[in-house]
Amino acid sequence: MQRSVTYTLIFATTVCVICSLFVSSAAVMLKERQKTNFVLDRQAKILSVAGLIQEGEKLSPQEIRDRYQKYIVPRFVDLSTGEYVEEPTLNPETYDPKQILRDPKLSREAPENPSRVARIPNHALIYQVVENGDIKELILPIEGKGLWSTLRGYLALEKDAQTVRGLIFYEQAETPGLGGEVENPKWRALWKGRKVFDEQGTPKLAVIKGQAGTPEQDPYRVDGLSGATITSRSVTYMIQFWLSENGFGPFLKRFREGAA
Amino acid sequence: MKFLLDLHNRLGKWFEKGAPLEWLHPLFEAQDTFLFTPDTVTEHPPHVRDGIDLKRLMITVVIALFPCMLMAMYNTGYQAHLAIEAGCQPLNNWRTSLFTWMGFEFSSRNVFACFVHGALYFIPVYLVTLIAGGLVEVIFALVRRHEINEGFLVTSALFPLILPATIPLWQVALGIIFGILVGKEVFGGVGMNIFNPALMSRAFLYFAYPGQITGDNVWIAAQTTPDGYSGATWLAVVKERGLAGLAHPDLGAAHANLTWWRAFIGLEPGSMGETSALLCLVGAAILIATGVGSYRTIIGCFLGSFVMAELFNLIAYLHPGGNPYFAVPFFWHWVIGGFAFAAVFMATDPVSSPFTEKGKWIYGFLIGAFGILIREVNPAYPGSWMLAILFMNMFSPLIDYFIVRANIKRRMARYAA
Amino acid sequence: MAIGLSKKEREVLLDPLFHNNPIAFQVLGICSALAVTTKLDTAVTMAIALTLVTAFSNLFISLVRNTVPTNIRIIVQLSIIASLVIVTDQILKAYFFDISKRLSVFVGLIITNCIVMGRAEGFAMQNPPWISFLDGIGNGLGYSIVLVTVGTLRELFGSGKLFGHTILPLVTDGGWYVPNGLMLLAPAAFFIIGFFIWILRTLMPERQEKED
Repeated sequence: MQRSVTYTLIFATTVCVICSLFVSSAAVMLKERQKTNFVLDRQAKILSVAGLIQEGEKLSPQEIRDRYQKYIVPRFVDLSTGEYVEEPTLNPETYDPKQILRDPKLSREAPENPSRVARIPNHALIYQVVENGDIKELILPIEGKGLWSTLRGYLALEKDAQTVRGLIFYEQAETPGLGGEVENPKWRALWKGRKVFDEQGTPKLAVIKGQAGTPEQDPYRVDGLSGATITSRSVTYMIQFWLSENGFGPFLKRFREGAA
Repeated sequence: MKFLLDLHNRLGKWFEKGAPLEWLHPLFEAQDTFLFTPDTVTEHPPHVRDGIDLKRLMITVVIALFPCMLMAMYNTGYQAHLAIEAGCQPLNNWRTSLFTWMGFEFSSRNVFACFVHGALYFIPVYLVTLIAGGLVEVIFALVRRHEINEGFLVTSALFPLILPATIPLWQVALGIIFGILVGKEVFGGVGMNIFNPALMSRAFLYFAYPGQITGDNVWIAAQTTPDGYSGATWLAVVKERGLAGLAHPDLGAAHANLTWWRAFIGLEPGSMGETSALLCLVGAAILIATGVGSYRTIIGCFLGSFVMAELFNLIAYLHPGGNPYFAVPFFWHWVIGGFAFAAVFMATDPVSSPFTEKGKWIYGFLIGAFGILIREVNPAYPGSWMLAILFMNMFSPLIDYFIVRANIKRRMARYAA
Repeated sequence: MAIGLSKKEREVLLDPLFHNNPIAFQVLGICSALAVTTKLDTAVTMAIALTLVTAFSNLFISLVRNTVPTNIRIIVQLSIIASLVIVTDQILKAYFFDISKRLSVFVGLIITNCIVMGRAEGFAMQNPPWISFLDGIGNGLGYSIVLVTVGTLRELFGSGKLFGHTILPLVTDGGWYVPNGLMLLAPAAFFIIGFFIWILRTLMPERQEKED
């Protein structure tokens, strides 16, 4: 149907207004719920890497929130000095590591590293597991390139800052069935009890090719993911980078000495 | 003999048109062709592209493959025995039991024992391929009412040769069924297929069950998992540590004297039939002499891989210290992994390669180039030749199209002038 | 289900299920079928989302079909479809966070799904609202059938599960089933859809194109 220009303009405007009203009202109405979901999802991940949610345990949103409030204390750490810092402008609940890394004021270029981490935050968000005033565990964010994708996750250490409590990845797109097995609970369970640093304090923990022994016999090695050499190696690189001098090394050193 | 033939012909009446067993005619026909020279041999081209008698063509390929098959049996046993002599345990399966029951020792110096041990791996894989694949062929021949095609003989001879010795037999069956279905029957049968069915089967297994077809523990028929003896192919070793890595003490005693000649002869871990470049060249000689395989495709593959490997050598020379693989010279690429086998037997498949002569040069060259590219650059896929050939299979009609178009144009220009 | 509908309505609703399946015969909208079908729950979610979007976009576009100026009709259709898709995505994020996280951008990509656009331009622009709505449901269901079939096969053979419940116990968990890794990769969806098309066309020879 051929119409006048005015009609076309008016019609287009009306459609735009109606559509935008529709979309924006949906977005506004659902925003709170989405934010809650996002926060809950992260809290559940943190609780499970800390061993505070058992594998297969189902919790209601309220239970997750309660448990999180009870045990988890988020803290910001200055990566270069290893000291705790206050970050009044950043809200730990909605903290988005990707956004921070894009901001030149909040992050800086990483030195060249095998994990191909391009930027690191000035102040990283870590989590403490606190029970009756004592710090029981430290949960550190890690990330790095795998075969196809960037893997992001958390590494939980016991209070000796040396023994692994758990490892979890919340974002990855490796080959399903091979590298994608980094999400497999069985493989993740192998990490518990492994040691991170050697006597000189350099990170030594590595994923090997083939099978490693129990944590007691073989504390510095973890089974490789079968058929996924590259992803296995990237997990090693990632852990070694984030625990090195360029990552959480200074902080963990201070922490062990009781200063932090 | 005469009596047999008579009997056969009498029986044959039952399967003719209108007779009660007509629907089984393809089956009768198949064994008839197999046992006796048939009354009818191919007169018209069975597929669009090639006019020679299909039966002769396929039998020649199987004969050319024969040296590789023998080597497959010997080397499978030899590699297993080397590993066992170095302290690995034999695999715990019926083959080992049968082998020891027959009174053989795990000795790498006893050629016959190596041969028997290898045969215990190769022959079951071959039989399963024939039975499972044959079943699919027969079903389609019955439903579609065409003869069972000799093409299957080649596919079924190629497929076991590109598998590791330890592959579970049910995977062999699944692989060949998939390859015949998707590689051939979906497109309408022999001559219509775009892809090489044997490679389709291998690709299926490669992506479906990577744990059983790649990695360091599948190539040798012995338990190589504990430290001290590497079951890695030389390809994998070179990829990780460069050529210098081949002599690395970590790999175990049996890998100590790794030389180019040894790789050329084929005494290395790998897929059963593709380790020996030497015997692939023997096969190539047979194929070229009989005109069954195109020397253009084969030489094209060698040229393409040569150029690509040199290119990477240059990069390695300009930026030392990067991917150790870039520094590997072309003559090593030709003898490790499945290059020679792929170039001689896989790329030359007449159905899935171009039929113009110029097209074969281009096709071969690009397979060589892409194969090296995938081998060196892509960290995840060591099965580079399979991927390169399947990829170029897809383009072969296009290559022909452009060559034919170019010819037409040139002739028109000539007439116009 | 189809009781109380006229013959035409029934035809519009049921024809796209098999006889004129949008994926099998028109080969539309297969891109998302690759991405979301490794697990059955995402496949079902995606199927429902697409069916609703197609139905409502058909409805709204049919409502304005006589008033929309021809020269901007495509952009109007797109605005309507895009709004519906955004809202669907928002709802999923709010109520099915876990699934929406796995579906990631693919809900958003319904906008570019050819089935939605195809039905809007090809059917809703010429037909009254109710029948257009039914057409949207029908085509959405046609898509859903394929998606759910593919999702079932891929999850069952790829991870031995259906809706996350173990059906075939895996070797790694002490069972007997060796998972088929190909099923977890996108090409598996191509193969399954290919087989689906092959079977439908073999069963309905009248739907095959004539040879040139």
